[in-house]
Amino acid sequence: MLVHTFFFYIFSFIAISSAIMVTASKNTVHSVLFLILDFITISCLFIMIGAEFLGMIMLIVYVGAVAVLFLFVVMMLNVAQQKKEWFSSNESSKHIPVGVLISIIIFFELTIVIGGWKFKPDIVSSMSLPLNMNTTNTHLIGNILYTDYIHLFQLSGMILLVAMIGAIVLTFRKRTGLKRQSYFAQISRERSDSVKLIDVPSKKGVDIDG
Amino acid sequence: MEILLLFLPLAASIISGFFGKYIGDRSSEIITSLFVLVSAFLSLLIFYNVIINGYENNIVIASWINSGTLNVNWSIKIDPLSSVMLVVVTVISALVHIYSIGYMSHDPHKPRFMSYLSLFTFSMLTLVSADNFLQLFFGWEGVGLCSYFLIGFWFKKDTANAAAIKAFLVNRVGDFGFALGIFLIFYLFGTLNYDEVFLKVPELVNKEISLLNNSPPFSFLGTAVRSIDLICLLLFIGAMGKSAQIFLHTWLPDAMEGPTPVSALIHAATMVTAGVFLVVRCSPIFEYSVLALNVVTIIGMSTAFFAATVALVQTDIKKIIAYSTCSQLGYMFFAAGVGAYNVAMFHLFTHAFFKALLFLGSGSVIHAFNNEQNINKMGSVWKKIPYTWVMMIIGTLALTGFPFLSGFYSKDAIIEFAYLKGSTMGILAAYVGILTAFLTAIYSWRLIFKTFHGQYKNEEIKKEKIHESPIVMMVPLLILAIGSIFVGFLFKDLFISHSDSYNFWNNSIKFLNPLSNDHPPLFIIIITPILVILSIPISYYIFLKNIKITSMIVNSNKFLYNLFLNKWYFDELYEFIFVKPAKKIGLFFWKSVDIQIIDRFGPDGISELVKLFSLKAKKFQSGHIYQYAFIMLLGFSAILTFFILS
Amino acid sequence: MVEVGLGHYLTLGAIIFSVGIAGIFLNRKNIIVILMSIELILLSVNINLVAFSIFLNDITGQIFTLFILTVAAAEAAIGLAIIVVYYRNASTIDVEKIQNLKG
Repeated sequence: MLVHTFFFYIFSFIAISSAIMVTASKNTVHSVLFLILDFITISCLFIMIGAEFLGMIMLIVYVGAVAVLFLFVVMMLNVAQQKKEWFSSNESSKHIPVGVLISIIIFFELTIVIGGWKFKPDIVSSMSLPLNMNTTNTHLIGNILYTDYIHLFQLSGMILLVAMIGAIVLTFRKRTGLKRQSYFAQISRERSDSVKLIDVPSKKGVDIDG
Repeated sequence: MEILLLFLPLAASIISGFFGKYIGDRSSEIITSLFVLVSAFLSLLIFYNVIINGYENNIVIASWINSGTLNVNWSIKIDPLSSVMLVVVTVISALVHIYSIGYMSHDPHKPRFMSYLSLFTFSMLTLVSADNFLQLFFGWEGVGLCSYFLIGFWFKKDTANAAAIKAFLVNRVGDFGFALGIFLIFYLFGTLNYDEVFLKVPELVNKEISLLNNSPPFSFLGTAVRSIDLICLLLFIGAMGKSAQIFLHTWLPDAMEGPTPVSALIHAATMVTAGVFLVVRCSPIFEYSVLALNVVTIIGMSTAFFAATVALVQTDIKKIIAYSTCSQLGYMFFAAGVGAYNVAMFHLFTHAFFKALLFLGSGSVIHAFNNEQNINKMGSVWKKIPYTWVMMIIGTLALTGFPFLSGFYSKDAIIEFAYLKGSTMGILAAYVGILTAFLTAIYSWRLIFKTFHGQYKNEEIKKEKIHESPIVMMVPLLILAIGSIFVGFLFKDLFISHSDSYNFWNNSIKFLNPLSNDHPPLFIIIITPILVILSIPISYYIFLKNIKITSMIVNSNKFLYNLFLNKWYFDELYEFIFVKPAKKIGLFFWKSVDIQIIDRFGPDGISELVKLFSLKAKKFQSGHIYQYAFIMLLGFSAILTFFILS
Repeated sequence: MVEVGLGHYLTLGAIIFSVGIAGIFLNRKNIIVILMSIELILLSVNINLVAFSIFLNDITGQIFTLFILTVAAAEAAIGLAIIVVYYRNASTIDVEKIQNLKG
């Protein structure tokens, strides 16, 4: 267990520091990179704790898709490098102590729950880490996901679909100045649109533009 | 018939007032004059009926208040006293209406004027035909209101507005006393109807006022006050206000800001006589209060004397006649004060005629001089406006009491009866009356001589341009002149007869001690006519022939001259005592209390507070999302803390 | 040191959660950092869920984590799309300059 403890502390330390650096770093690209580091660390933690499927999925989805997306947008928007330091802003920075104070308060409240819960021995069945090596994590997840939670599974697929369509719809813009063919208009052309029979009276002529 | 008499002027007033715009000026003039003329004829008919047949009636039109012990009706009471007043009011009012058609011909607001005149007539008729104190008070207030309208008729003039307000305010002081008197009457007698009150007076003669049933009687300066005395004094305060007696007279000269027909109607014949009417109507009460009668006499004679002295030195033609009215009213009051109510009414009757004649005549003069009212700017026009001149002379002769014209009979009767009363008050009053008659004659002839004789002193108008007034203004003058000459002789037996067989007044006036039938010593009888006749050459000499005498008299008696010219400084005194402090108090309450305190804590303060808070609250909406997120977080942590701690 | 138990994992989650919360309103740089802080918050929730699932021997926690993953990805995509469109209009993604809600 010593290894476990040791690795836990290393990983958590890296995670916390990179989380702080996400907010604090001057360069936005650095922030994104620190976010990626955070994700990787946490997924290592997951693997260590025994939820290896989730850890892998996190690597693939979070790091491979979401963080890369962040990177794309950051590069595209050409975010200017901040000239000033840490938490800099145009106005005075007297909001920082208050903000920090509030987040510390929230942290303490969260831990109070944990602390109070720690002293009720009947709820916590085990203090140590039970290692269940019978079946793989993936197998276990698969058992439950496709049977009990099938509806939620489908729903999350829907959510992804909607998100995809939404992203396209939001950023879609019509480019002007392009010559395009409208196939529908070409195909749906009728004879009545293009041909007109006129009886021309003799010696009178006909007005073409009319 | 009585109902028609009363309500025709009201109908005329409403038609002319509300529809004058639609029916046109001429129609409204004709309608109002016609209706009031019909009322005048009806009143003459009723008067005839009362004289010949002793007709008396009390027609109840509607019930007004019927609550507990207080039962008050709208009614028309016809008895000798009210019939006399009806004649006076309607006849003079009709003549004034007709006169106004000519006098106000250049005015753009004729229908309004006619409407006000008719409304005034209606109020006065209500006053005199009341059979209870409350309707009397209603008419009282009504005439005060119409007087306000009419004095301030040319409301674009500041002085007219101020004069109208002054009239109303001073009247209000009197009305306050009057109202207290009515309250006291109700408190003591339990009713407000004349008949019931007058019946009960003998029982309650010695009752003293006490505030609650068993408390000790109300005392003023140590002496217990008899309730009857108090009632009479309070009623008399009301009469003082309305009839411009001394102390409450200040409104009358300023009321000359109104058009001349208004002065003729209101300030000669009708409204100012309401006070006299009140005292005479309440003679059953007054007879039992020697104190009040003495007060009335003193005030009456003081007013007569005071007004005559002031009239001696005035330069405005209407103000001279106004002070003359004030003085003659004083005569009427002190006649009432010595118990000669019928003589007071007789003088009221004759005075209405010649005073209205004088006012309307002066209106004709003013019209001829193109609205000039200062007698120092007139003169020597008796050949140019002879008709007016003759009328004014007739009026002056009647006013001064020239033998055998109306004023002679009434004024001399007053002096005689005052002397015959025998008390010191009476004899003093008689002498003051004689002196005042002399002064009256002097200033009246002064007016005539300065206006019509002497040198022509007007710079603005050429003498050739002075012309007579139109006939519509002359006819009323003629009728009034006939009245001034003959009314005294015709009616003297009716009003002040001594015979036992026929008593015109019947029960409308009460005489506790019947008037004596003697004649005063010959000296008293003839001194007044002699003085009056002598005054003509005296004033002719002073004011026409040898004008230097006037300036000599003025220079040697500078103090008296100034005193008279400034109306005995009453206006200045009142301004100092009442007006300035009232203004100061009002200003204080407005600036300090109203603005600083009430407004500051009220609307202004609250609106400032709201503005302040909204400015502060505006900062919450900065538009920065992180701030919104932060506040959300704050709220969330607060809730969390709350749940953890509880 | 102490045996690493459930409490430690939960504390770790709490710390990352607080850091994410602080990042939302403390940063005045640009909106992308806000979105990244949101991702951090979701990550901390994931840690909590997984820790509970392992320690209570119940696989439901990990299933829920899967769903949260899905939703987080979708939301990140949409959020970034919005930022791109906003950038097209405003030419800046500085947090201080977004004051359209002011009033």
